[in-house]
Amino acid sequence: MKDHEETAELENLLNKALKRGASYSDVRFQSYESELVSVENKALDSYSSRKLLGFGVKVFVDGAVGFASSSDLSSNSTEKTLDSAVKAARAVKNREGSLARVHINEANVRSTAKVDPFGIPPEEKVSIALDANKAAWNNDKIKNASTRLGMTKDYRWFASTEGARVAVETTMAGVMHISVAQVNGIMEWVPDSESACSGFEFIKSTDWNTFTSSISQLAIEAVESKTPPPGTYPVVVDPDIVGVLLHEAFGHASEGDLVSSGESVLANRIGSRLAPENVTIIDEGVVEGGFYYSYDDEGVKKEKTVVVEKGVLKGFIFDRESASKLGGSPTGNGRAQDFENLPIVRQTNYMMQPSEIRFEELVEDIDIGVYVRGRGSTGGEVEVGMGTFTFGVGPSKIIRNGEVAETVRGVVISGSILDTLKTVDGVGKDLVVKTSVFGGCGKSAQRATVGFGGPHIRARKMTVGGR
Amino acid sequence: MELVETAVAKALKLKATEAEAYVQKTRTIMVEFAEQIESLKTVESIGLGLRVALGKRNAMYSTSILNEGEVGQAAERAVKIAKVAPEDPDWKHFNRKFGKTPVEGYYDSRLATIEYEEIVDRLMGATRLINEHDNRVKPTRGILTLATSTITIANSHNETVDKKETGMIVELRAKAAESGMESTGNEHQEARSWKEVDFESLAINAGNKAAKFLTAKSMPGGRTDIMFRNQIFANLLGIFIGPTISAEWVQKGRSPLAGKIGSVIASEGVSIVDDGTLQGGWGTCPFDDEGCPIQRTQIVEKGVLKNFIYDTYTAVKANVEPTGNAQRAGYWIEPQPSPNNLVFVKGRDNPEEMIKDTRTGIYIDTTIGEWLSNPVSGNLNATITHGYRIENGELGEPVKGVVVSGNFFELLKTGVGSIGSDLKNSGENYSPTVKLVGVTVAGE
Repeated sequence: MKDHEETAELENLLNKALKRGASYSDVRFQSYESELVSVENKALDSYSSRKLLGFGVKVFVDGAVGFASSSDLSSNSTEKTLDSAVKAARAVKNREGSLARVHINEANVRSTAKVDPFGIPPEEKVSIALDANKAAWNNDKIKNASTRLGMTKDYRWFASTEGARVAVETTMAGVMHISVAQVNGIMEWVPDSESACSGFEFIKSTDWNTFTSSISQLAIEAVESKTPPPGTYPVVVDPDIVGVLLHEAFGHASEGDLVSSGESVLANRIGSRLAPENVTIIDEGVVEGGFYYSYDDEGVKKEKTVVVEKGVLKGFIFDRESASKLGGSPTGNGRAQDFENLPIVRQTNYMMQPSEIRFEELVEDIDIGVYVRGRGSTGGEVEVGMGTFTFGVGPSKIIRNGEVAETVRGVVISGSILDTLKTVDGVGKDLVVKTSVFGGCGKSAQRATVGFGGPHIRARKMTVGGR
Repeated sequence: MELVETAVAKALKLKATEAEAYVQKTRTIMVEFAEQIESLKTVESIGLGLRVALGKRNAMYSTSILNEGEVGQAAERAVKIAKVAPEDPDWKHFNRKFGKTPVEGYYDSRLATIEYEEIVDRLMGATRLINEHDNRVKPTRGILTLATSTITIANSHNETVDKKETGMIVELRAKAAESGMESTGNEHQEARSWKEVDFESLAINAGNKAAKFLTAKSMPGGRTDIMFRNQIFANLLGIFIGPTISAEWVQKGRSPLAGKIGSVIASEGVSIVDDGTLQGGWGTCPFDDEGCPIQRTQIVEKGVLKNFIYDTYTAVKANVEPTGNAQRAGYWIEPQPSPNNLVFVKGRDNPEEMIKDTRTGIYIDTTIGEWLSNPVSGNLNATITHGYRIENGELGEPVKGVVVSGNFFELLKTGVGSIGSDLKNSGENYSPTVKLVGVTVAGE
């Protein structure tokens, strides 16, 4: 890993913060690089390359949090930024915040990346994206196809007045593709992406032409199918949607800051049964297929956090402040989008653990239902306070007489997560965890890359609407 | 020489045939609060987005490090990428016509210079009102963001232009709880100046809403008339009309409105404009993100589709004048045509009268997931989290968990019942309350 000499100067800010009256201070430095190659309709649409570098300083003064950041690393600017943070903290009156105690870490770690994606010549990246895009034009029903090749390298350094010094470097790469199909005036678009915390070797070892052409096939299948009659059905949900549903509708509610503010539907429910015995839900920092997250932006090690064990709510995920408020231990979930933001409680790899049932067994006793699938999903939204969710899922299948039958398009599922979890009566034996370089989850105007997944599950009751 | 000019000059020296530099400096103050202030922060961010052309080959490089050395490297990187990029046969040139349209209300010196103490006092005063009269309710999460930014643009065809803008976003959430029942109430507002935001009313409304919805239930599905509150319909306008009138979507075959200029796409009562000159508008400013002067563009006039919106690239490709709609989602992102202030022109109906004129239906106050709707197919989808049944011309029981679906473009043509007079914005989208008839809902 490359050393960043800027950090030596920044370390001096910590003592200066204490002298200005702070009881605690930390400083975070970040150097972030990204490239995005966009191809649309067989032509290069854009090639953009970005570098972001800067630092943020956080102070605690009389229980109040102040923060300031800048991308100007001259010593004049770093002092000014510190002053700004102290001034902000002093303006916040009557606040009683504190930080839960943690193990003080010194670490220097990185995700596996054999081939630095930023060392690959631009023309090679353009040609991979162009070839993948051309492969999507496999039928004259395809009207638009766009392909993106993306990569990031994110170096984060953390130092605190308590003595923590943690540096983490994460490299990611992936491909995203959207095919739009049109038949008889009806248009459907199907997006999908594959990413990994890896170097360019992930891009080179994957067959992207097959990936994009299969998306086109799915778009055609979707546009030629019908929307399902709206109503309430038993459903089998695939790992993609289990993951995203858990993350959005349940994971956020288990975030310590939303619990302590009383906003979460899970507040005051530790020890209650939320789901049948077969449901176990965890948040874990480093998982096969997921996002690489070994230390958070407060220098705390991220390990495995059990949120629901055998259907019973066991714990929440915390940053240091929310852990202190609720009397828990920090779980390494204090994450910031970048150096310009304060860490807030975020999920890492949030997922349901597999159980023992085969897919065929999940489907076999459903007379009429829906097999809800994630590929081509357009995303979801929840109201964390109530645990209500709504998701536009991908082209899905009707289940009829215990068998997977025809495709349906434009499927939207909605419901209340606590009601839905209670009706989970089958948990599959498979497990798929995914992450994405192309975006992440938004909360309080910050985005974070996350991983999510789970097995196939069956829920007895879910509201299905058609778009 | 300004940094933008240095960047352009360096790129030209490296044999770029054209170059364009965009520098954004922003100071953001962000306050998170609930019953107390949770945190206060100041962010000074700065960035350069440099686009270069070598004949018909293009590339973009951006950086947050703004010194001469890095700017030189940025030019080198951009030119290096452009050299290996395939030619774009449609490429002609960057914007050749810089200019400023005289518009008002996009910069507020009060907002730009406000002290932390004043912000804290005002917020704390307002949040106390959330549960002043009702101890079942409490504030759960609020965010206030104030931003002041300076944008400077230079390219190889024009004299450098700059502009200074301010904006603020406030979002308030309240939660109510009583004997096992729970509910929430949210309010938000986006404005250009400090005095426009009535924090106290937002707080009272959020608190009242949370309390009212403790007893909310779902309801049976079917077809019904729906009144969309102004901000909710504004969101739908942004989802269905915003991208589909973009010349980029039209040219790339994504827009269902392609080829429909001059055709009837909505009922006669419907007019839509993109008005970048709207006084104090969320998207109002003198020029767009390529330095092109801003304007007012008629999109739909009495139901007939009149125009699309263009940046320089799409305008040159279509052989028309750009409409001042080049927008960047960040200095590191290429400009794309996007609405400035997309306005669904208001009607004459008072929303209270619109309720009185409805025998049965639903009044929607808040939805989630409306952005899952599909602008390509027109499929509308939104889940009502806060709505009221309308029975015999009166607001009745609160309802939640009802999914609204239908085809937005068909509803615009045949389903517009009445249009309110209460224009309000949700970000850059402006709409009055609108009643649509014969909409499908799925509930219990």
